[in-house]
Amino acid sequence: MSKFKDVFVVDDDKVYHFIIKKLLTKNNIDVKPSFYLNGLEAIEEIKGKIKLGISLPDLILLDINMPIMDGWQFLDELKKTNNIVDKNTTIYLVSSSDSISDVNKAKEYQDQIKDFFFKPMTAEDLWKIF
Amino acid sequence: MKTKNHSNLKLLEEKNNFYKKLLFQSPDLIFEFTFTNEGTIFFPFLSKSVITHFDLTPEEKDKPALEILKSKIVPEDFITFMSTIYESKKRLKNWVHEFRAVLPLRGLRWYKGIATVELEDNGDVNFYGKIIDISEYKEQEIRLKLSEERYLFALEASSEGIWDLDVKTKKVFYSSQSMKMLGFVAIDTIDSIEMWSNRVHPDDKRKHLNDILLHFNNVTPYYENEQRVLKKSGEYIWILSRGKIIERDSNNKPLRVIGTHTDISSQKEKEENLLRTLQIVEEQNSRLLNFAHIVSHNLRSHSGNIQMLLNIIDDDNSLENLSENHAYLRSSSNALTQTIDHLKELVEIQTVLVNKKENLNLNEYLAKTLDILADEICKNKVTINNTISKNETLTYNPAYLESILLNFTTNAIRYSHPDREPIISYSITTNKDTKILKITDNGLGINLERHGKKLFGMYKTFHNHKDSRGIGLFITKNQIEAMGGSVSVKSEVGVGTTFNICFNE
Repeated sequence: MSKFKDVFVVDDDKVYHFIIKKLLTKNNIDVKPSFYLNGLEAIEEIKGKIKLGISLPDLILLDINMPIMDGWQFLDELKKTNNIVDKNTTIYLVSSSDSISDVNKAKEYQDQIKDFFFKPMTAEDLWKIF
Repeated sequence: MKTKNHSNLKLLEEKNNFYKKLLFQSPDLIFEFTFTNEGTIFFPFLSKSVITHFDLTPEEKDKPALEILKSKIVPEDFITFMSTIYESKKRLKNWVHEFRAVLPLRGLRWYKGIATVELEDNGDVNFYGKIIDISEYKEQEIRLKLSEERYLFALEASSEGIWDLDVKTKKVFYSSQSMKMLGFVAIDTIDSIEMWSNRVHPDDKRKHLNDILLHFNNVTPYYENEQRVLKKSGEYIWILSRGKIIERDSNNKPLRVIGTHTDISSQKEKEENLLRTLQIVEEQNSRLLNFAHIVSHNLRSHSGNIQMLLNIIDDDNSLENLSENHAYLRSSSNALTQTIDHLKELVEIQTVLVNKKENLNLNEYLAKTLDILADEICKNKVTINNTISKNETLTYNPAYLESILLNFTTNAIRYSHPDREPIISYSITTNKDTKILKITDNGLGINLERHGKKLFGMYKTFHNHKDSRGIGLFITKNQIEAMGGSVSVKSEVGVGTTFNICFNE
């Protein structure tokens, strides 16, 4: 059971992908997330979906520090593509970063993101989200 | 007739007496001095003021003239004094002479004697004249001379140039020092304003003019401007030009401005070096802070993963999942080890023997690098253009030079353009004491507007390449800067990239 059906996990850490999968299964959260290794992979998928008129993800778990396109750039690109994404998609930042600049920057994006979680994610965090 | 002549003579004598009386009372120091045919000298007439001025007692007054002169005139000046008298007598030339006398009450004084010289029928020569006390004027002159000497000495010692602008004619006096600064012959020169202003660096002209106007309009108490000025040789020097209006007309418009030129090139150079060092320190500081955050982020991320994986293994120790769980655990453990290795590598740069410098042949080291990468070069059909002279040497840390060459070359191969065979060019130029190694490729290029700030950052990768780790440029930049050098980049997406590495030996 989950209020979200189409979930994107955008994170360059493959171990984290594995952990999220295991955590979801263990907590009986019935979703099969799509995994992307950086912002560019995810934004291209979304752009493709918009072009084809396919429904967009309703949840994105977004890492900040990623190669090629980081979380902030992804959010900027997302804003440029389509407003529908903002309205119908819930976005959470999930990061190991404790840098004040990242925490402050998250405030600048508060119209796009719902909350900020620190890694490692716990079962309690997942219950809050799903 | 005889009576008439007699009465005329009497009249003349009376008149003469009258004038003598008048002259005697005159405040001027008037004298008559006779040089007889026999060679004796005496004063037929001295005005009262001479007697009082020179404190002549009645006894003194009756002494022979030579004795009077000798007692009053300063001994060092006496011989010259007498020789000018002889000279005037001989040539019947008007006498003008400056001399010093010591008086009982007034002390040492300066005098100027002026006299008309006339030859009498009997062969005597008469001097009619006056003495002027020029002590004050002389003192001023001496003071002026002293201050001028002092000023000239100060100018020479400080090597400052002087300029003096006549605002109406727009002519400027440039002192020899000012001319010397520009590389011209060191002589005082009068020239136009433009002689200097046309030499001011285009980027400094606006402020130069503005600073002058600020002072002309009474906004600033004096004019001051730092400017680059073109020398005769074509080089620029840094000059501090200062000045002050010393004369204005009735409408308060400036008439005359005097100022100095100071060569501040070496000071400017030091200032620029300091700024450069400060900039490097700031950059290093910000990179180290960034590094601390990244390390903390990565350590936390890997240790978090390990903790979560152990939880997963605790919960699910079924055999079928064990190997997968273990594989992820190992991967996390490896990543953690790698992060710690990077940390170690960086710490070493800051602490390793930077002083360990050797005289290295650049070509030998480049050959070594190309040898290490021979397989990659062959596989990717890389063309190497090397214009570095065979004898080019560098005093550098060998391990760093190897690492720098390896990193830039690896990057050039790794990010080559898929549509063409890679060409990597190496060249070296020397700018003052700095050698600049230029490494150019025709690869993918980097969008510097977008990634410029992060290019040398840690764990930043900009191309989707399997071997991108985002550590090479970060380490390399740290090595270059630890040796006191710097690195810059120019790049165009789809065209290629050039790295300029400045080695500060």
